[in-house]
Amino acid sequence: MRVIIEEMRKDLKILLAYPVEIAFWIISPLLWVVPLVFQGRALIGGLQSSAFGALAGTSEYIPYVLIGGIFSTYMFTAVWSMGNALRNEMFYGTLEHILSSPVRPLRILLGKALFNSLLSTCFVAVQITICVLFFGLTITLTKILPMVFFLILLMIGLYGVGFIAAALTLLIKEAHGVLHLFEYILFLFTPIRYPVEVHPITRAVSAIIPLTYALVALRGILLGVEFDFARTSLILLGIDMLIVPAGIWIFAAIERRTKQRGTLAEY
Amino acid sequence: MLQTRGIELKNLVKVFKKKKKDEVRAVDGVSFRIAEGELFGLLGPNGAGKTTLIKCLSTLLIPDDGTAIVGGCDVNADPLGVRRKLGVLTGGERSLYWKLTPVENLNYFAALYGVPRSETKERIHYLLELMDLFDKKHERVERLSSGMKQKLSIARTLVHDPPILLIDEPTLGLDPYFARFIRTFIKTELHEQLKKTILLTTHYMDEADELCERIAFMYNGKIKALDTPHLLKKRMPQEQVLEVKCVGDIDDQAFSSMHEYGTLNLSKQDGFTYVRMSTENPEDLLSGVVEIVRDRARVLSVSVTSPTLEDVFVHLTGASLKDDTTQQ
Repeated sequence: MRVIIEEMRKDLKILLAYPVEIAFWIISPLLWVVPLVFQGRALIGGLQSSAFGALAGTSEYIPYVLIGGIFSTYMFTAVWSMGNALRNEMFYGTLEHILSSPVRPLRILLGKALFNSLLSTCFVAVQITICVLFFGLTITLTKILPMVFFLILLMIGLYGVGFIAAALTLLIKEAHGVLHLFEYILFLFTPIRYPVEVHPITRAVSAIIPLTYALVALRGILLGVEFDFARTSLILLGIDMLIVPAGIWIFAAIERRTKQRGTLAEY
Repeated sequence: MLQTRGIELKNLVKVFKKKKKDEVRAVDGVSFRIAEGELFGLLGPNGAGKTTLIKCLSTLLIPDDGTAIVGGCDVNADPLGVRRKLGVLTGGERSLYWKLTPVENLNYFAALYGVPRSETKERIHYLLELMDLFDKKHERVERLSSGMKQKLSIARTLVHDPPILLIDEPTLGLDPYFARFIRTFIKTELHEQLKKTILLTTHYMDEADELCERIAFMYNGKIKALDTPHLLKKRMPQEQVLEVKCVGDIDDQAFSSMHEYGTLNLSKQDGFTYVRMSTENPEDLLSGVVEIVRDRARVLSVSVTSPTLEDVFVHLTGASLKDDTTQQ
């Protein structure tokens, strides 16, 4: 546990050493969420859309998109931050020193993931506050506990995805292209901006992505859209139980491969 | 074999495959044993396989064949056990977090190496005092000089008080003052006072000669010779070396008529060219060698010296330890 805390503390101190980066984390929640509202207004001219309601189970298009946009932050920070975590250590010149210590790399990655989850939570909290204050989103205290429950289930699964992203970086080094592709695929196949029921393929692929179920649950909780609490949580738990061991296994296999090929510290 | 508390290698092999059927045997059947508390040097030019060997021992590379035991732990079977007993120091500056202070860096690595929380503060205080960095403890690393960064890297390597140290080119890129400090520190503090088992790699022969109790010559992935510096020098068939220091470019072809009289070592350092001819009778060669040099360069000095480890290395391998040299 101490390693994880020290990893988080180290990453925080490095972040604080870059003032522009802090400005980004303060301003970007607003910049991220407002275009979604404007997009909704431009498309449907108000908050309601009956055509949209037939697909999504709720006719409240803007709140639907806002929830998708806000909570997908966790997905994208998991992919990007964990994908780039080892890349940054390569640039610092510290990767080999970390990997020659008696700590399993996954604990270090977990520290980085938790730090980024905390950052994402701050990011999301600011966005929700903006939406509550300016765009009519309502949150009651009774909604917070189930929201946190599903967010924890979501984050566990995302750590599995993050381990895979970190492994990819270890393997191909410059993983920006792949991570972008990963991001676009997630955008395409998860109900962030539209219901995946819009096409049979999106509906099929979305079934294996944890964010899909988390968004169904969060929209259910926040917008009152009907959803099966037990079934959704069990599916999320099941995906977590598959994706986390898969991420760990893939990372270990790729770490071993890089140690065999001597490409660990290569840029 | 597993009882050793030092380091033991047996037929260690590491092969890098580049393309199909194209491979480099970076470590090619290396065997040696380093006793507990010994300061052992691995001397060889760049590309000899020294760093690859260090990476195999520090579990950053998986050997293809052979065994390596570090402090009683097998690098393949028990890599975490190996890592607990090792401290790895490399040359160059990029091994620390530049945006953190020395205290923050050491605190982080103490956590990685499982130094108990109750001992960490005292240990960091001791190391910063030892490395004369206490006044800089709250400065960001990026504001420290290269020498100070290397001192801090040493402190980081020692933070968990490992019994075995792998030190890879420790004075690389340092100015003479800090290079001298690091060498003295390795010999007096780490070796004589703290009794660490040390494997030091270098391509500076003076460094190896000054510091190491035994030296292995490594070239093309193989150990070419292993002995004390004194006994390695005894392997030279000739007991004297004629050295001409000059300014200008000379290639070994110019000395083709002299090969039968001894071993030629032609090297460049700090802008000067050194022609070193190992021979039993330097007086007999003096005029011939000086004449060849004078036709091509400006002679600065002529002297007769004893063979150095570099001469022995050239004699045994036909290659020089320096990058910018030709030899025969």
